Amino acid sequence: MSSTDITINHDIDHAHEEHDHHHDQNFFEKYIFSQDHKVIAKQFLITGIAWAFIGGFLSILFRLQLGWPEATFTFLEPILGGWVENGKLNPEFYLALVTMHGTIMVFFVLTAGLSGTFSNFLIPLQIGARDMASGFMNMLSYWIFFISSVILFFSLFLETGPASGGWTVYPPLSALPEAMLGSRGGMTLWLISMALFIVSQLLGGVNYITTVINLRTSGMSMTKLPLTIWAFFLTAILGLLAFPVLFSAALLLIFDRSFGTSFFLSDIFIAGEALSNTGGSPILFQHLFWFLGHPEVYIVIMPSFGIVSEVIATNSRKPIFGYRAMIGSLIGISLLSFVVWAHHMFVSGMNPFLGSVFMFLTLIIAVPSAVKVFNWIATLWRGNIRFTTAMMFAVGFVSLFISGGLTGIILGNSALDIQLHDTYFVVAHFHLVMGAAAFFGMFAGVYHWFPKMFGRLMDEKLGYVHFWLTFVSVYLVFMPMHYIGIAGFPRRYYAWTGFEAFSGFADMNTFISISAILGFTAQFIFLFNFVYSIFRGRKSTSNPWHSNTLEWTTPVLPGHGNWPGPIPTVYRWPYDYSKPGSVEDYIPQNIPFSQTQSSNLPQERDFE
Amino acid sequence: MANEQIKEHNSRIGVHPLKFSLWLIIISIIMMFAAFTSAYIVRREEGNWLEYDLPAILLINTVVIILSSVTMQMAHNAAKNNNLKLLKMMLLATLGLGIAFLIGQWNAWADLVQNNVYFGGSGSNPAGSFLYVLTGVHGFHLITGLIFVAITYFSSLKYKVHSKNMLRIHLCTTYWHFLGGLWLYLYIFLRLNH
Amino acid sequence: MISIAIGLSVILLLVILFLLFRIGTLTSIFRGSSERAAGTTKTSNKVNGALLLLFLFGGGAAFVWSFVKYWEEMNQPLASVHGDWTDSLFWTTMIIIGIVFVITQILLFLYAYKYQHQDNKRAYYYPHNNKIEIVWTMIPAVVMALLVFGGWQTWTKITSASPEESVVVEVMGKQFSWMVRYPGADNELGVAKTTLIDATNEFGIDFSDRAALDDFMPREIHVPKGKPVLLKIRSRDVIHSVFLPHFRVKMDAVPGMPTKFWFVPTKSTQDMRNETGNPDFNYEVACTEVCGRGHFAMRFLLVVDEPEEYEEWLASQTPFIEENPDLLAKFQTESEKQLVLKNTSEKKAEEVKTEL
Repeated sequence: MSSTDITINHDIDHAHEEHDHHHDQNFFEKYIFSQDHKVIAKQFLITGIAWAFIGGFLSILFRLQLGWPEATFTFLEPILGGWVENGKLNPEFYLALVTMHGTIMVFFVLTAGLSGTFSNFLIPLQIGARDMASGFMNMLSYWIFFISSVILFFSLFLETGPASGGWTVYPPLSALPEAMLGSRGGMTLWLISMALFIVSQLLGGVNYITTVINLRTSGMSMTKLPLTIWAFFLTAILGLLAFPVLFSAALLLIFDRSFGTSFFLSDIFIAGEALSNTGGSPILFQHLFWFLGHPEVYIVIMPSFGIVSEVIATNSRKPIFGYRAMIGSLIGISLLSFVVWAHHMFVSGMNPFLGSVFMFLTLIIAVPSAVKVFNWIATLWRGNIRFTTAMMFAVGFVSLFISGGLTGIILGNSALDIQLHDTYFVVAHFHLVMGAAAFFGMFAGVYHWFPKMFGRLMDEKLGYVHFWLTFVSVYLVFMPMHYIGIAGFPRRYYAWTGFEAFSGFADMNTFISISAILGFTAQFIFLFNFVYSIFRGRKSTSNPWHSNTLEWTTPVLPGHGNWPGPIPTVYRWPYDYSKPGSVEDYIPQNIPFSQTQSSNLPQERDFE
Repeated sequence: MANEQIKEHNSRIGVHPLKFSLWLIIISIIMMFAAFTSAYIVRREEGNWLEYDLPAILLINTVVIILSSVTMQMAHNAAKNNNLKLLKMMLLATLGLGIAFLIGQWNAWADLVQNNVYFGGSGSNPAGSFLYVLTGVHGFHLITGLIFVAITYFSSLKYKVHSKNMLRIHLCTTYWHFLGGLWLYLYIFLRLNH
Repeated sequence: MISIAIGLSVILLLVILFLLFRIGTLTSIFRGSSERAAGTTKTSNKVNGALLLLFLFGGGAAFVWSFVKYWEEMNQPLASVHGDWTDSLFWTTMIIIGIVFVITQILLFLYAYKYQHQDNKRAYYYPHNNKIEIVWTMIPAVVMALLVFGGWQTWTKITSASPEESVVVEVMGKQFSWMVRYPGADNELGVAKTTLIDATNEFGIDFSDRAALDDFMPREIHVPKGKPVLLKIRSRDVIHSVFLPHFRVKMDAVPGMPTKFWFVPTKSTQDMRNETGNPDFNYEVACTEVCGRGHFAMRFLLVVDEPEEYEEWLASQTPFIEENPDLLAKFQTESEKQLVLKNTSEKKAEEVKTEL
C-alpha cells in the first residue's frame, strides 16, 4: 500500500528522457502497461463490460431456475457440467450463482466500471490536467484490479464451486469450509480477489483525490468544477474511508478461515463436531462489512449522479438547477452514507435502540436525494431537450432512481423492515437503484463520452433500441419483484416449492425470468454498437454535443498530455447553457467573459 | 510537461501531489486500523475475554520505534542542512532500529506463545488473536516503511537527497512518523484494553 | 443438422439486423440527418417523446392493473397484533410514496415530452432559486419526520420487553431445519451448550440442570391465541433467520448470540383456515438468511390453538428426558469423568502447542 510513486523528482530531473520515452513507447507501454489515464479508463471500461456480461449471464442462469423451478436444464450440462444433476440445477451452485452475480455486478462492474472508467477518463480532462497525479499508481490500480478479476474468474470454475454465501459473505457460513461447498476454495479466492480489489480501489481513489485537489488548471476553483468531478471526488473519498474497513474485515475472515482464530465464530456445532472456536461475534463482521457496504452503494450511484447531471444539463441546453444545492446534497449523501450502515441489520439481533437511531439517520438521507431528483426535473423544465441516447438513459436513470429510492424509504423504516428484510422487496429495491439506475448512468456515460474516448459516435438508432428494450425490460423484471417481496418471498431461495405460503406467484416469476432474458439479450445490441462504433462508427467532431466542459476543448482524440498546447484557463462555471443574448446556446468554460459581452449577466460584467 | 504543471500547481495550492497522496494512503491505513480497534473494543465489550499480560518487550519496542523516529527526524534535518554523512548514518540507524523493532515484535510473539496466548487453534481467544493481528498488520506496514527508508537510503547514496530535493525524504519521514505514531497508539490502546 | 439450422437461423437474424443497421446508417447519411446535431432529429425526438409518454401511461396502467390483480396474493394473511401496526404503517407509507412517485414520474416524462428540441428555441436560463430549494428540502424533511416518528413508535413497541406471562419457545436453527424447545412446567429453559450436542441430544441440553428436566421438543410449534409468545432464537452452526410471514416476525438466529422476538397471535389455525377457505392451511416458519444448500427448505409448522386446546396440548407433551432416559443416566455418570478427561487433554494440548 505504501508503494507511492516516489520518483516524481526523478522524473523532473529526467524530463528530457521522459519526453523521448513518449515517442519511443512500445506496444506494451502504450496499450498494456500504459500510464495514460485515457488508456487505463478504456481498460477499465472493457473489463467492466466483460464482467457485466458474465454477471448478466449468471443472472440468466438463476432466473431460469427461479422462473421454471420444475423444469429440467439438461441443455445447460455442456456449460455447467456437474452442477446440473439429474437435469436439476444444484442448490449450492444456485447460491454460488447468486453470490457471484452480486459480487461481480456490484464490485467488478459498477465500482470498477464507473469509478475506474469515468473517474480516470474525465478527472484530468475536466479539471484541466495533463494526467493523473501518479500515472504509475494509476496503472498499478488497473493491473491489481485485473489480477483480482482473473482470480475471481478462476474461482468460477473451481470444482467445489465459487463462493456462495451471498455477496455479503456473513460468517460463520463463510468462515467454515464444512458449512458449504462454496465456503471452501471459492471463498478463499473470493477473499483474495476482494483484498486485491480493495487495494486497487484505494490506489485509484488516492490518485483521484490528489489530482482533483492539486492539479486543477488555473481558474478552476472548486465551485467551477462540473458535478461529475464533484461526484467522482466524493466517491473517491467514500472509497478511501470505507474500503480499508472491508479489508480489515476480510483479513479477519481469512484468519478465521485458515488460521483457526475466532473473531467471528462462537458456539458452533457443524459437520457432526462441536468446534473449539469461542468468543467470536458474527454481528461484528456485519458491522464491519456494512460500514463499507452501505457507502459502497453510494460509491456505485454517485458517479451516476454526476454523469446524469452533466448529460441532463447538456442535452436540456439549460444550466443545471441549483448547482450549489447539488453539491450540498452530494456532500450530505457522502457524510450520511457513513452513519447509516446498520439499516442492513435491523433484524440481525442488534440493539433495538441503535435500530431506531439508524432508522432516523437512514431516512434523513432521502432529503438530499430528493433535492437531486427535484433539481433534475427542474433542469428539464423549459429546456430545449435533445433526445440523444445518453439523454434517454439519463431520463431513465431519474425515473428508476425515484422508483428505487422510494422503496428505500420503506426499507429504512425499521418497523417495516422486519417483514421486508431479506425478501424480494429488498432485491427489487437495490436492483432498481443499482441494477438499473446505476447501469443507466453507466450507459449514459458511455454514450455521452464515446466520441471523446474513441473519436467516433455510437449509432443513435441502435442506442434508442437498446434504451427502450432495456428500460422496459428493467421495469418488467424488477417491478413485479416488489409484489413478490410484499408477499414475503425470501431472498436466495433455490425454489419456493417447500412452502405453501410462498407457492403463489409462479407465473410472475416466470414472467420476471422472461423479461430478464429479454433484457440481457438487449445488451448484445449495446455490445455490437460499442464494438462496431469503435472501428466503423461515424467520425465525431471535437464537440458533438455542444458541451461546455473542458474535455471537449481537446482534439477529437487527445494524446498523452491531453492538450497539445497549454491547458486552457477556466473563467466560467460549467453550465452556461442558453444564456440570454449569447450567439450559441453554450459557452465553454475557457471562454473569457470579455468575449461574450452580449450575454453577460450584471454580476459578471466585472470580469470582462 | 506534466511535471512542470505539477510544480506550478504545487506552488499555487501548496501541497505536492505525492505528499497529498501519501496522506490519503495514511488515512486509508488509519481507517483500516480503526476498523480493527473498533472490532477489538466491541469484541471486548461482549465478554468472554481472555486476560493476559502484554509482553514486557513491547515497551522496549516502543522505545526502539521512538528512537527510530528520532533518527529519522535527524536524517530529515541532516538532509535539510546538507549534512550528507549524517544523513546516511541516520538512515542506516533508522533501518537498523526498524529491523530491531521487528525482531522485538517477533520475540514478543514468542513470549505470547510461551504464555499460551495463541493466534488460532483450540486454545486461542479473540483477545490474543486481535493482538497478533494488530501487531502483525502493523509489522507488515513497518516492512513497507523499511523498504521506503531503504529506497531513500540508496537514493542518498546517489546524492539524490539533499536540501534542494527533499521530497523523498520528506515523504519517508512523514510515513515513518506515522508508523511510529501508529505503534504508540496501538501500544497504548492494547495497554489499556487488554 | 438441427444445430446447423439453428446456427444458420441465428446467423440470418444477425445478418438481417446488421443489414438493417447498415441501411439505417446509409439512409441517415443520404437523408442528411447525420449532419444534424445529435438528439435534434425531429423524427427521433417525436418517436422518443411519444414512447416516453406511452411508457408513462402504459406503464402506469400496467402497474395499476397488476397492483389490483395481485392485491390478494401480495398481502399474506395477517395474524398478529403488531402485524396490524406494521401493515397499516406500510400502506400509509406506500400511499405517501405513491403520491410522490406519481407526481415525480409524471413531471419527468411530461417535461421530457413537452420541452423537446426545437431548432429556433432557446432553453430558459434558470440556474438557481433559493426559495424553491428550501421548499423541496423541507417537504421531504417534514414527510420523513412524520414517517420516522410513526416507524419509531411502532419499532419501540415491537422491540420492547415481552410481558412476563409470555409463552416462551426456544427456536434453534441448524443446517437445514429448525428445532424447537419448550421450557415445560417450570417455565424455564435448561442450560444448553454446543459441547453437549450429540445425535440424540441435538440441543446440547445440560441435564444436570434441574430446569432442563421438564423441557420438551415438539415437532410443531403450538402457541395459544391471544397470548404473547416470546421466541428465544438461537443457532448452532451458521446464521439463520426465523421468519413467520403471517405474523410479520423475523429475527436472525446467530450462533453464540441469542436473539428474541415476541408477538401476540390473533387468529388460530382453524380461524385462518376458515378465513382463507383452505382446509389444509398451516402457519409456516421459514429461513431468510442464507445458510447453505438447504436454505430454501427450512420449513417448520406453527399451530395457533385456542387457549384451551393449547393447554391440552401442553399437558399431553412429555419431557425430552423421559423419552430418552438413557441420556440422563449417561449424563450423571459421565460428567465427572469428562472433567477429568478435559483436564488431561488440556495438558496434552498445551504440550503439543509448545512444540509449535
